Amino acid sequence: MAHDHTDPPGGKTASFGFRDVPAADKQKLVGRVFQSVASRYDVMNDAMSLGVHRLWKQAFVEWLAPGPDTALIDVAGGTGDIAFRFLDRIVPQGGTGSVAVCDINPAMLSEGVKRAGMRQDRDRLSFVCGDAQALPFRASQFDAYTIAFGIRNVTDIAAALVEAHRVLRRGGRLMVLEFSKVDVPGLAEAYDAWSFNVIPALGNILTQDREAYQYLVESIRRFPPQAQFARMIEAAGFGQVKFRNLTGGIVAMHSGWKL
Amino acid sequence: MSDTPNPTPKRADPKLLEILVCPLSKSVLHYDEAAQELISRTSRLAYPIRDGIPIMLADEARTLNDDEAARHGGA
Repeated sequence: MAHDHTDPPGGKTASFGFRDVPAADKQKLVGRVFQSVASRYDVMNDAMSLGVHRLWKQAFVEWLAPGPDTALIDVAGGTGDIAFRFLDRIVPQGGTGSVAVCDINPAMLSEGVKRAGMRQDRDRLSFVCGDAQALPFRASQFDAYTIAFGIRNVTDIAAALVEAHRVLRRGGRLMVLEFSKVDVPGLAEAYDAWSFNVIPALGNILTQDREAYQYLVESIRRFPPQAQFARMIEAAGFGQVKFRNLTGGIVAMHSGWKL
Repeated sequence: MSDTPNPTPKRADPKLLEILVCPLSKSVLHYDEAAQELISRTSRLAYPIRDGIPIMLADEARTLNDDEAARHGGA
């Protein structure tokens, strides 16, 4: 990969794993990573997290606790992981709830559309290819905005949070699920060893793309820790910002309200 | 429950189209059903709909020529 590491005048850089790359390139690099892993995304998630990612996503939807009429936008949720859990929860309650899945990556969306085709509640789902930093939705359309393991990959996180605020109604809720900072001694060392040795090797075996998973591990370390990310959410205009750690802080859930 | 999964709808969902805007200008879109495009007059861009999925990325949109811009502008 050839990159011009010299910034253009006034240019911005963004982190791509441990490398700093021009901001404009990050999106393309991340796009390539997900393009290459879309069809084996679940297999890899199961292998890397020993299946625990399913519990994290379940806990996330439980904290959201959507009502039967909730209009949800799930960003970076191409494969439908959050959307389907949301529907499994609200559809039995009756009501009119629905979910718009918005992902920048067509390969991840195709995977979600394929899975959605087998569902009875297909008519409550819609899929849109769009960018978290420039959402293609009218203001004040949704009761809830979720982004699970996605915001880390956005070039301008502050811009994405402002867009989340714009598309939510007053009283609407933002929820973010993301890798975070381990706060349990002992676990931190084990997690480091797993992350830097096992995950790239698994990625290589299962997807023949070691680099994609090397990126994943490095990008997790570059993402702001819990309290700092909570302040970014507040800076975008959200109130009542709170976070909860899962699995000793390997993952954290953040919640904020458009008041 | 049928054995064959529902085929992907090839047309965009009308309820979804109502809430979509141009991601750049946040202005309303005109739906060109025949061309399967969502047209932003303000940004002079036509966003494609592929397999029923609106592709709302400026990088993927087609720039309108003068004739089209005038036509949609006059609509």
